[in-house]
Amino acid sequence: MTLAIHLYRRMMRRGRVIALVALSSVPGLVYWLGVFDADSGEAAGLYSEIVSAVGYTFVIAALILTAATLREEKDAGTLPYIYMRPISRPWFAAQSIIAGSVAAIVIGIGGWLATVLASIAVGNGLGPTLPALSLFVAAAIGYAAVFVPLGYLAPRSLLIGLGYIIVWETILANVVTGLAQFSIWRIALSIYAGLEDDFGRVASDTLGPVTPGVGGGVAKLAAVVLIGLGALTWTLRRRDAL
Amino acid sequence: MTDTIVVTEMSKWFGLKVAVSEVTIGFRPGVTGLLGPNGAGKTTLLRVITGLQRPSQGTIRILGVDPRADPVIYRKIALVPEDETVYDRLTGRQFVELAARLAKVDNPKSRVGAVIETVGLSDAAGRALGGFSKGMKQRAKVAQALVSDPEVLLLDEPLNGTDPVQRAHLIDLFRQLGDEGKTVIVSSHVLAEMERMTDRVVAMVDGRLAAVGDVATIRAAMTDKPRRVYVEASDPRRLASSLIVTPGVVGVAIDGGTVHVETSDAGDLARQLPVIALENGIRLARVEPVDESLESVFRYLVEGR
Repeated sequence: MTLAIHLYRRMMRRGRVIALVALSSVPGLVYWLGVFDADSGEAAGLYSEIVSAVGYTFVIAALILTAATLREEKDAGTLPYIYMRPISRPWFAAQSIIAGSVAAIVIGIGGWLATVLASIAVGNGLGPTLPALSLFVAAAIGYAAVFVPLGYLAPRSLLIGLGYIIVWETILANVVTGLAQFSIWRIALSIYAGLEDDFGRVASDTLGPVTPGVGGGVAKLAAVVLIGLGALTWTLRRRDAL
Repeated sequence: MTDTIVVTEMSKWFGLKVAVSEVTIGFRPGVTGLLGPNGAGKTTLLRVITGLQRPSQGTIRILGVDPRADPVIYRKIALVPEDETVYDRLTGRQFVELAARLAKVDNPKSRVGAVIETVGLSDAAGRALGGFSKGMKQRAKVAQALVSDPEVLLLDEPLNGTDPVQRAHLIDLFRQLGDEGKTVIVSSHVLAEMERMTDRVVAMVDGRLAAVGDVATIRAAMTDKPRRVYVEASDPRRLASSLIVTPGVVGVAIDGGTVHVETSDAGDLARQLPVIALENGIRLARVEPVDESLESVFRYLVEGR
């Protein structure tokens, strides 16, 4: 796992981590502001809605971070130091995605902790926030599986990634119901919805036609990871590294 | 002696730009210099050989293996890239240790210490690479390449930024590695550096092989090539008429106040010019040799083939 550790350390610069945790903490802040006058029942429902709808800030943080996993090495010209090693390409791809996932999970947990603190601050305790951890973890893994290969392949991966988030996940997946099944955010949300009994109306709207459920969500997530792994392996083998 | 690296009809292009064109060549153990001006295709050739880039056509075999097909070959190949960038937050020792761990080196600690000592970085190894001078970074890059004890070592402009002492040390090191039977390819655009490292030179220009042979052949070609010198003088006509009968001068032309001189012996012209000026009462304002660059020599070699 030397490569994964190296990539993770390189990504997690202090300034970047602080900025991205702050970005992914927006739902916590909104929750804190939104539940002042709410009773505990309303607060739980509101929590799901806020995390589902405002959680996109985490997606952008995950994009910035995971797309940089191999892109920074490529842009800086340091890729030969890791590429020219006796590491099979599938294992190289797996370690890259693991590094991106763990980094995004750390950022996601940072954001999630902000919601936990907000929940405790308004007197609702840990109850409504705990299942949301699954949302951030699942989303982190899913986005890493997509954005790590994208970052390696495309110099303008941030722009393309933003296009995916805004055009595909936010607009198209809402309009064309079939596309919602291929939305990583909704896949992660379906796992969260499977764990959270008090899933709000807005959250259900966001989920759209995707069926809530841990098993199905995890299976779809596994498929996304396998596709990402395959794509990165292929790219490492077939495309110029520099 | 069999070739350890075999490049067969290899071309590499990026869109419409041809970086390397139909190169067929073999490299054997010992030091080989890859010589050529900037933009000649040296870096692209090294990147394709190491598998960092795919050949657009043709094949590469290192120790009989296509490096892109089997990464296990990277146990036996190492590259010192041209890019100055390293991991600035790592110390020199951490950088080399990272290379050792990724290359799955046995007993990495002692090996790391040994190569750091070999490149003369023992005192600075605990410092962050970001604070290293360019020459020190070059040595750190050489150390990370040597840590896996590769059979094939490719170095892209490894002497850039090094001071004369460091340069002499690295040149000795490369020669020693070549003497030990390793295949060492060193790219450079400085012929004098190459002469100190090896007799065997591959010269490239415009993505093509310009010459393959020993340094003496290249040197001779350089000597044969007429040199052009621009001379600004107070009386260009008088100077031109005197120069035309000077031995070694093969052509003279006047352009305004400047005399364009072509000579087969630039050194002799440099000696004769002040004498002629003094004898004829001509004041010399400027003497400028042109097309002295290696690029012009390579172009001459290519055109002369």
